[in-house]
Amino acid sequence: MTAAVFQSRDEALAGGLALAMHVLFLVLLVFGVSWQHKPVETAAVVDLWRDLPPVAAPKAEVAPPAPIKPEPPPSQPKVEAKPPPKPEPAPVAKPDIALKDKREKELKLKSQLEEKKRAEEKVREAAREAEADKKKRAEADALKKKQAAEAEAKRIAGEQAKAEQALAAQQAAASAKVVDEYKRRIIEKVKRFIVLPPNVSDNAQVEFDVVVLPGGEVLSAKLKKSSNSIAAYDSAIERAILKAQPLPLPPDPALMRQFRELNLVFRPKE
Amino acid sequence: MSVISLITGASIPVQLVMALLLLSSMFSWYYIFLKVFTLRRAAQQTAEFERQFWSGADLNELYQRAVNARESAGTLERIFEAGFREFTKHRRQPGADVGALMDSTRRAMRATYQREMDKLESSLSFLASVGSVSPYVGLLGTVWGIMNSFRGLANVGQATLSHVAPGIAEALIATAIGLFAAIPAVVAYNRFAGDVTQLAIRFESFTEEFSNILQRQLH
Repeated sequence: MTAAVFQSRDEALAGGLALAMHVLFLVLLVFGVSWQHKPVETAAVVDLWRDLPPVAAPKAEVAPPAPIKPEPPPSQPKVEAKPPPKPEPAPVAKPDIALKDKREKELKLKSQLEEKKRAEEKVREAAREAEADKKKRAEADALKKKQAAEAEAKRIAGEQAKAEQALAAQQAAASAKVVDEYKRRIIEKVKRFIVLPPNVSDNAQVEFDVVVLPGGEVLSAKLKKSSNSIAAYDSAIERAILKAQPLPLPPDPALMRQFRELNLVFRPKE
Repeated sequence: MSVISLITGASIPVQLVMALLLLSSMFSWYYIFLKVFTLRRAAQQTAEFERQFWSGADLNELYQRAVNARESAGTLERIFEAGFREFTKHRRQPGADVGALMDSTRRAMRATYQREMDKLESSLSFLASVGSVSPYVGLLGTVWGIMNSFRGLANVGQATLSHVAPGIAEALIATAIGLFAAIPAVVAYNRFAGDVTQLAIRFESFTEEFSNILQRQLH
């Protein structure tokens, strides 16, 4: 083998290896690096709270839309009835300007334009009258429809109210269960994180007011009633509450209201 | 957010810098592998010829072999061939001065040695400049990218980290590529420079010893 053969073989090999090196590094970089992907939690929290009130509100709003809709038509003709007087002064003003000009061509042109405008105005006025007729008829129809719709809406509202009352009673019973269940779970979760200081009497009772965000985060935990015996016990429970985030919450956002401010009671022997 | 999206999302100057760095990285790796092969073969051939030479072979025979296999001959063999040729040519001339004879032999060997060293050292300077310059080029891309991302930040009323972070990550990719190109180049340069120096010492000492042997033949 001559040096030239060695050289060309080396060059090909070196080129291939260099390429392989880069492909390898690229693959490592793309698949080996796990980029952290943490969604912004605070944004989600805000959205949930905004959604909360409409859950109850829409039911009351189902009836009102019917009477609101028919109202706009009468207001529209009022607005359009005013324009007709406005166009008339304009043509009167233009002829004055036209008379002052001495050129005949312009006069002719202007008179032609005026004729055209007059013709157009006639057509427009005819159209307006037709429209006015239509609107009057439409208003009469709308009135009839409105009355019918209102009667129906009242009937529907009555039915809905009855159904809502029944539903609300059911839901209240169900939600009371769920609320109790989740309060128990929250207390259990917090208890897991309690590190009891020594020498705590068994009947030391601590009460905390906890403000919870919809994500289960604790906004604040305030000591409502101290155990009066050992300050370390109070702070141990406060730490446990903060450690227990996120607190278990029911999936239904409507129940969130009852978890916004929680009153939690802890006893060491429980 | 993957590496690919960071690269494609970067601004044009930063992308240009990245492309430049990638190109220089490709070339530097190509030369690294090429040098590894050539230097390894040079070391092998040198060892082989030293073994043949010091095993007491006839100088004429060695010379014939070197002339016949000129294409595949190693560096040391070429030096030997050049020296021996000059020596025999000069000796045939009547009334040759011993000092002048040895001088011309040395010069012939020296010339071949320098040519061969030049070949061995070729493209080492490229590795050195990639190693020293590409971090700066990458830094230029990063600075440019960060400048851009801050300028974009000025248009946003309420600045948060999530506004700046992608731009800075994009920009930092340029530095990463620059370092990726530079580190192997620097390591390889130091390694190859050491190897070449070692070979050069072997060649030089062989030249001295061989001229001693030739001088002894004259007496």
